[in-house]
Order: sequence, then structure tokens, then C-alpha cells
Amino acid sequence: MRSVPSKMEVAGLNAWYGPRQVLYDLSIDLPDRASTAIIGPSGCGKSTFLRCLNRLHEEGAGARVQGTIRLDGEDLARLDPALVRCRVGMVFQKPSPFPNLSIFENVAAGLRLLGVRRREELDQGVSQALIEAGLWEEVAEVLDAPGTSLSGGQQQRLCIARALAVRPEVLLLDEPCSALDPIATAKIEGLLAKLRSEYTVVIATHNLAQATRIADHTAFLYLGSLIEFAPTEQLFQHPKEALTENYVKGRFG
Amino acid sequence: MRAADAGRHLGVLRRLGQTFRAGTTLVAVGVCLLVVAFVVVLAGTALPAIRHFGLRFFTDPAFSTIPVLVGTLLTSGLALLLAVPVAFGVAIFVSESAPRWLRLALTYVVDLGATIPSVVYGFWALEVLVPWMRSTVEPDLARATGGRGPFAGLPLGTDLLSASVVLAIMIVPTISALAREALRSVPRSSREAALGLGATRWDATRIAVLGPASPGLVAAVMLGLGRAIGETIAVALVIGNIYVLPTSLFSPGGTIPSLIVNRFGDAFGLQLDALIELGLILFALSFAINLGARLLIRRLEAGPRGGTPSASRRRSGALTPSAPSAAAGSLLQAPPWWERVARRRATTVRRRRLRERIVLIVLAAAVLAAVVPLASLVATAVGQGGSAVITPSFYTSVPPPFCVKANASTVCPLGGIGPAIEGTLILLGLASLVGIPVGVLTGIYLSEYGRNRFGRLLSLLTDVMVGVPSILLGVFVFALFLRYDRFDAQSALAGSAALALLMIPIVTRATETALRAVPSHLREAALALGFPRHRVTTRIVLGNARGALVTGNLLALGRAGGETAALVLTAGTSTYWFTGLRAPIAALGPLIYDDLTISIAPNWTIDAWGAALILLLIMAAVSLAARLSLRTEGEPGSE
Repeated sequence: MRSVPSKMEVAGLNAWYGPRQVLYDLSIDLPDRASTAIIGPSGCGKSTFLRCLNRLHEEGAGARVQGTIRLDGEDLARLDPALVRCRVGMVFQKPSPFPNLSIFENVAAGLRLLGVRRREELDQGVSQALIEAGLWEEVAEVLDAPGTSLSGGQQQRLCIARALAVRPEVLLLDEPCSALDPIATAKIEGLLAKLRSEYTVVIATHNLAQATRIADHTAFLYLGSLIEFAPTEQLFQHPKEALTENYVKGRFG
Repeated sequence: MRAADAGRHLGVLRRLGQTFRAGTTLVAVGVCLLVVAFVVVLAGTALPAIRHFGLRFFTDPAFSTIPVLVGTLLTSGLALLLAVPVAFGVAIFVSESAPRWLRLALTYVVDLGATIPSVVYGFWALEVLVPWMRSTVEPDLARATGGRGPFAGLPLGTDLLSASVVLAIMIVPTISALAREALRSVPRSSREAALGLGATRWDATRIAVLGPASPGLVAAVMLGLGRAIGETIAVALVIGNIYVLPTSLFSPGGTIPSLIVNRFGDAFGLQLDALIELGLILFALSFAINLGARLLIRRLEAGPRGGTPSASRRRSGALTPSAPSAAAGSLLQAPPWWERVARRRATTVRRRRLRERIVLIVLAAAVLAAVVPLASLVATAVGQGGSAVITPSFYTSVPPPFCVKANASTVCPLGGIGPAIEGTLILLGLASLVGIPVGVLTGIYLSEYGRNRFGRLLSLLTDVMVGVPSILLGVFVFALFLRYDRFDAQSALAGSAALALLMIPIVTRATETALRAVPSHLREAALALGFPRHRVTTRIVLGNARGALVTGNLLALGRAGGETAALVLTAGTSTYWFTGLRAPIAALGPLIYDDLTISIAPNWTIDAWGAALILLLIMAAVSLAARLSLRTEGEPGSE
């Protein structure tokens, strides 16, 4: 695993919400063009970790971060957060299409922010993102309908398309399927399986089976600390830590 | 035995529940009838004038109908134009940009501004704003425009422009408070979705917040417009009160409410009926605004239209990809223009950061524009009325009599506002006796049983009554008492009736909102435990909404305590202690207004500023209590 080139390097990451520390001295190298699952019981810091990777954590009131995160060797702290978030896209737990925008405009929002104005370019970017997200065929005829008129699973894929439209280098997904039914989940997992060879995907999930299905590597977080990080199969079959073993065997969590 | 007991107990409970429901329904029906009576009495009283004058009411200059109509629309429109950018700026700043401490402080200041009685605003405007307008703003405007068009004529200070500016200052807090709530009700996840795409804070506001909040923003503007149109006392004090068609913004003028309050005292017979006809027109205006707001809001809430400027705008070939069902593997080929976009990414972000900073400066300017008048008002009140307020005798003595010659010097006693305090407390007590129970029960009905046609009607009527200018409540009560009780039309009783009418819709709305905010799972949990419905309401729901309920009632009491227009019409003029329910009674608002308009007593400014400062302090306490009670109940879950 050490031979894989890494896309993001996290070193000594600590994070707080007000007085409460949620991440403790976390160091991890996220491999390039591969998917990494972050697993762990609720409240272990999965979301916070993801939100540190695109500097969204610091937007919260009273939030604080310490440590360095590098993207292709560049220190995130030296980049404008808005630029970081163009390069590191995010999909949230609850589908969150912009409620007052159409399907088309939802996907176009990021492109417009990047200054894309020409109609052909917007059209091309939007349709391509929708195809990549596997949503095109379902929405091609209703692009002007509100994004919120779609089903939950479709909304989530719309959010993925929205994130993909600006062609990020890293895609963060924060329990993207936890609000979805099994069929919608299967669709998104299929989609992630395709994306993981092209993007650096980091997905937080509490669904262990999901991690085994779609992740090349898996990291186990417990109470804000990284317990173990290994290729998925190794972590699930031959965990090195007793804590990891207890968790993946379903003894707690 | 036990089963039988339980059965009997349940029967009792069921009957209790039915009684409770019937009771609230009865009160709700009563409130509906009251609104109907309001319209019927106004229309009925105006009918002789309508019959007698017909269209002459509009064409004959003697009635000044057209000039005051123009004055009303002009000042309200201009006030809205001035107020909306400032109010939205404050709301956006508070909701989207301000650090926590500043947000809390500004929220408090804005809420306080929304509760300051109009007579206090009017007093401040007369003492501070009008001289400034006359000496500085208006001459400057005249110079800058060459004294043409709307800025022609002699800058008097007491004119349409000053009235518009006072109105704007008064409605900025109202609009801003509602707009802020609308913005804050947009979930944080929407903002984060935009931030996650690389948006700046301002981008996120533009993309993800303003749209979903637009129904609430429209409601805020409409409420501000309604308040401006019905505002009486502050306008009457600064507009100059000349009822001819204005030729410029520097012309003195009048509005419907200011005309009513100025002429009501001396009018009788057909003259009075004609004034009430004007009131009817004012009601129609406020009703139309309310209805228009509802329609507009419903259309906005119906959800996004295309979301793009025009749906047919885009049908370029690019939207139909050459290979519609592109194979899975070859998806991620970047289009040729992407290279260009990616290269400029850092530049666009920098440009948007710059824009964000400029917007922040504009927002800060709006905050300044909103806060400075309020600060000036508070400072003036403290400076002018402070000495009176810390003098104990101020609270116990009657207003200053004339100066007395003692030996060689003339002594002008400070006097006090004891009767006005006593009167206000009596009026508030009587008004709450009716207003609070009726309002609370109606609110309970709306929240718990009101999901039917009657409930929707009642809800509409409550909205209309919340928006009715308070002077019309005075007109209504006066007309009613005049009809049945000719000689005591202006009395403590009439005054408290007007205040009760003022309170009922506010308390109703506050109760309904408070009860609806109690999460439904709490109700369901209690129902599942076998609680009868009325017990769920009285114990669980009311218990959980206690804080918000108290707050709502406090705010209603605050409104009533500072009310002036309705009391000037109904409570009569008195400077002396309470003498009986059927006699005129003193009160704080009318005391200030009378001091400014008719008093010849020395020291009246100190007297009036003392009263104004007391009103301010009461409002400050009420706003603080409201803030604290809402805080302890916790803000809606952040995650």
C-alpha cells in the first residue's frame, strides 16, 4: 500500500467544535485514483475528517483545526478555501439540491461559479456531468423541473453530478446512502465503482458491507483517532488491532 | 369494578375534552364575528357620508381625499424604497456574515427597534430629524438637483420627505427582523452545499439562500409596507399637515391616518362619517396589501419556475450528447474548453473574493444606516429624559402646572407623569383581561383544531387584523361606542377595548406559532400513552411552548403599552388621575403626543422625554425577555 502514490497527505490533524475535540492527531495518506472508505461508529469523527479535507469544517461556528493537509503536495492552508473546494468536491449525507434551482441550474451552479458563461459549454458540462452520475437518461426531458422534484436517490445522484461538473480531483462523500433505500443505494454504489478508478474518492460510511463493496482502502476511526488503515480486504479479514476486529466483526458500534 | 371506574373516568375525560374543544371553537367563532363587526361598523358608520357625498368625496377638494391618498402612497412608497435595501442589508449581514457576538447584538437592537412605539419615533424625528433635514439634507438635495422636480421649493423640514424618512427608519427594523428570520430558516446544509462547490459566502447567499427565503422576504416587505401605510402618529408629527396635492417632496402634506387623527377631535355628524369613510379606504388599502402579499407568497412558495431566465433559452446541440448512452468506461473525457476554465480557476476565485469583500462593505453600510438613527433616538431620550426618570416624584405627580411666581423668581415645577402611568396600567390590565385569554384560546384553536375551512378563514382574518392600522381600531371602537354610548365615547373603557382589539390578533398569532413549534412527535408520544387530546394540548403542548407564549404576550403588551393613535381617538384627553371607567383616562403614548401638539405647560419636553424614555426602557426589557426566553428554549437543532 505504501507504494501507491498519494493524492492527499494528512499529518497531525486535530479538530475541535468549540471546546470539544473531535479529531486527535490524525495522520493518513489518501491514495490517488482509488477509493478510501472511512468507517467507525457514529460520532467517531468521520464527517469532521471529511469536512477538514475540503476546509468546510472551519466554516462552522467555534470550529478549529490544527495540523497540515496537503493536496498534491500543496498545503491546503495556503490555498483559498473556495479554490480547495473546487478541487475537492463534496457530497453530503442528506441530498441537498438547491431548492429554488432547476435540475439544469443545480448542475450548472459550480460551472457558473468558475466563470463558464457560454451556453454550449454549460450545456455540454451539465449533460456530461449528468451522464457521469448516471442520471442523464432519467432527467434529460425534465431539465427545467426543480431539483427537489426528483426522488431521494435521484437527488443524491444530482448532487454527485453537481460535484462532478466542476471536475474535482478528489470527491468526498459523507454517508451518501444513509438516507436512501436499497435500490437507490445500489445505483450509487455502482456509480462509485466506476468513479473510483478515475477520481480519488473518500467515502465515510457506517455500512461495513458498503465499504467492502466499493473501497480499495479502508480507515477505521474510533473516538476521533485513526485506529487502522489498510487495504479493505486486509482490514476486514486480518485486522491488526483488536478494536478494529471487534468493530468489523460487529461486536460494537 | 376497576374497569368500570376506568370507563367512567374516560367518559369524564372525553366530556372534558369536548368541552375544551367547544370552548376554543366558540372563542374562535367570536373572533371571526368581531372582525366581521369591525368591517360592518366601519362601513355602516361611513354609509351616510358615502350616500350623501357620493363621488364628490373624491373630487371636492374640501375633503382632501385625493391629496391624502397621494400623500399616503407617496410617503409609504418612498419609505419602502429607502428601507428595503437597508433592511435586507442588515438581515443578510446578521444572518450570513456577522460573527456570533455581533449577530446577537444586532438581533437585539433590530428587535428593539421594531418594538419602539411610533410616538417615540415621531418625537425623536420632530426634535432631531426634522431640524437636520431642514438645515442640511434638504438644502443639499436642492443644491445638487438645482431645486428641480421633486426637490423644488423651500426646504421646510416638516414635509413629505421627512415623513418618508421617519417611516423608513421605523420600518427598517420590522422588515429586517422578518427578513432575518426568513434567511435563518434556510437550512445550513443548503449553504454548505454551495460552499462545498467553491462558493464564497456571498455566492452561497446568492445561490442557496435568497431563493428559498424569497417568500419570507416578500412577506417582510409587505408587512413593512402595511405598517408604513397605517402609521399615524410619527407621520402626523412631521409631515406638516397641509392637505393639498403636493408639488414636490419638500411640500408639507398629509396622509389618511394623519388626517384622521388630526381632524377626529373636532369632527361631528357627517364630517365624522366622512373621516370614517377615509378609514374605510385605508382599511381597503391595507387589506389589498395583505391579499397581494398572500398571492405573491403563494406563487413563490409554489416552487421554482424554470430556475433559468427562460426555459427555451437553451436548446443547443451540446445538450444532446452525440452518444446518448455513452459507455461506462469512456465517461470522463474533459471537454476541450475545460482546460481554459481550469487554468483561470484561481483568478475567478480571487475575483469572487473581491466581490465578497465589496458586498460586505455594502452590508456594513446598511447596518450603520439602520443603527445610527436608533442610537441617536436612544441617546436623545436618555439625554433629555434621563434627569426626569431618576426623580422619584416624576412617577407620582401630575403633569407640570403653570409656573409660579415665588418671591422675585419664577419657579417651573418638573411635574410628573403619574396619571399616565396609572392610566396605562389600568388600560393594559383591562385589555389583557379580555385580549390574552381570547387570543390564547383562538391561537390554540388555530394550532390544534384549525385544519379546516373555518380555520383557514380565521387564519386569514387574523393576518388581516394583525396588519390593520391601529388607528382604525380606534375609529372602530369610537364608532361603536358612539352608537350605543353617545356621551362616553372617549373613556377608559373604550380605550381598553381598543387595546384589547390590538392585542388579540398578536396574541393569537404568537400562540399559534408557539404551539406549532412544539414538535409533533411530542404530541404523538403523549397521545400514544393514552393522554386525551385536550390534555395533550393543555399539559404537553402548552407546557413546552410556555416560554414562547409568555414572550408573545409580553410583546403584545408592549405594543399596547406604547400605543398612541388608537388611544388618542378612544381614551380621550386627561392629565389627571383615574376617575372612572366611563371617563377619559391618561396614558403614556397620548401624553407624549398631547405634549407635542397641544400642551402649553412649561417643562413639557422634559415631561414628554421622560415618558418616552420610560417607554423605551419597557420595550428594552420586553425585547430582552423575549430574546432570553427564546435562547433558553434553544435554537433549532444545528445538526
